Amino acid sequence: MKAQITLLGIIVMMFVLAIPANAGGKGEIQKYFNDAANKVKATENVTEKRTILDESLKGMTKVLNMVQSSPLISNEDGTAIGHIKASLQEKQDELTGNNGYQRVPDTQLNNFSNYVVQSMEQAETITISLVALLLIIILVVLLV
Amino acid sequence: MRNLHSFLFKGATYPTLFISVCYAVLFMLSSSCSANLPVQREAQQMEKSVLEVKYSIVCIIHGDGDYLYHDTKGNEFKADVEALAGAKRVAQQNPNAEVFIFHQKPKRHFLFFFPLRDGEFFYYRNGRLIANELYWRDNEQARFEHEVELYRRFHVENQREMVSMFLYYGHEIPEFDGAGYDASYPDRMFTVTDLVSGLKDFTRDSTRFDLMILSTCFGGTPYTIGALGSFAKTIIASPENLHLSYFDLKSLERLDLRMRDGDVSTFAKRFAHQTFDRLTKDVQTEVSVAVYDIDSTHEFLNSVQKVYNKTLTTLDGKTQPAKTMIEHCDCGDLPSYVLPTINAGVNIFYRPALFGRSKYKQNHSGWECWRNIIP
Repeated sequence: MKAQITLLGIIVMMFVLAIPANAGGKGEIQKYFNDAANKVKATENVTEKRTILDESLKGMTKVLNMVQSSPLISNEDGTAIGHIKASLQEKQDELTGNNGYQRVPDTQLNNFSNYVVQSMEQAETITISLVALLLIIILVVLLV
Repeated sequence: MRNLHSFLFKGATYPTLFISVCYAVLFMLSSSCSANLPVQREAQQMEKSVLEVKYSIVCIIHGDGDYLYHDTKGNEFKADVEALAGAKRVAQQNPNAEVFIFHQKPKRHFLFFFPLRDGEFFYYRNGRLIANELYWRDNEQARFEHEVELYRRFHVENQREMVSMFLYYGHEIPEFDGAGYDASYPDRMFTVTDLVSGLKDFTRDSTRFDLMILSTCFGGTPYTIGALGSFAKTIIASPENLHLSYFDLKSLERLDLRMRDGDVSTFAKRFAHQTFDRLTKDVQTEVSVAVYDIDSTHEFLNSVQKVYNKTLTTLDGKTQPAKTMIEHCDCGDLPSYVLPTINAGVNIFYRPALFGRSKYKQNHSGWECWRNIIP
């Protein structure tokens, strides 16, 4: 009986280990904004919606700043992270109505949260190296 | 001898048993004689089904990369998995078609050391799955070597005229560089040139696909359309970013009803319109779906070929940090591309992003170019 259980355990382990190591990976950044969008849509309170969006954008910018200043990051990664930061800043400006942007109307906040998710899904995370990406993921989990 | 005599004698005394054995042997013989009949019938049916193939569809789905996306309800999807399910539905819903589906999957290992096959092939004919094979993608020489081999093995050589389609679902196909397209093979290159080599092998009899659907971001550049145009009469592509929910495969189901008149051009416009309508319902970022009638675009492409190739050569020679300082833009925003022929052969469905700097942009030329990022 013991031998059968051990054998079953080995078989289960074999299947588990066959799962790709990079499953999830870059998706963590997208999930982060998707979670924020879900929270935005879950509340009726407009001020709360704005706060959630603002904090999520600021939180990711803070993480990107830390990663960008890390000695582990290459110049290319630094530039690519800079683009993502610029894109996040534009979204924050639009949310608050700064830098020539019209403030996102209260009625459009749910759509705006979808826009942030979709925009990040097609952002250039693909050009960021695995090291930079792992740092971002670790810091998102730890700090945000 | 006595025993034999005794046996024959007993056989004579049991005539019923003897006759039964004879009948059994006769039955077996007659059965074995008629055994070819079902095979023959099947072969005839097969021949009939081959004759009934009116559509031939090749669908390549790239899944070796970051393909995660969310719908507006927050549900998580993997673009390649969704596209695969859609392609299978297309195959099952078309009784008069043969459909080749190639799913390029991430590299995986069993117990860390033993590599698993990272390509999966499905072949459907007359709505039925005929073959499902796993194959290796790690071929160094030609990007689509195994896909072409499988295609040649199963492709129906039909005398009758068929409507042929080539579908590519994946990320933007780079015009230069191309390293890192496959997450599992970071050093391996994949560019438009590699797709062109693959298409050369698919269409070795030098016929063009009637319709090519390029479900990727930034597919509508003068170089990409010019290069792929040698292998297709009509191309549907997105000049701008394309949301990972992709172009609608649903519109390819029941082609016998949707393309009854065999007019591929009209079908392509309808396909683009339906995809555009669906995307604009859910997507907040910009949506662009263009139909290129290749023969009508030649004049424009010839006029801009020199200037566009020069741009590509310059970009290709740039260092990596310099390459991060360029971005895609509408060719219509660049004076050297604004020619009287820019709209010839292009049908574009465009809606700007609902937020962001470009939300006031009202139209798009249908052609995508490169420019330096203005700091």
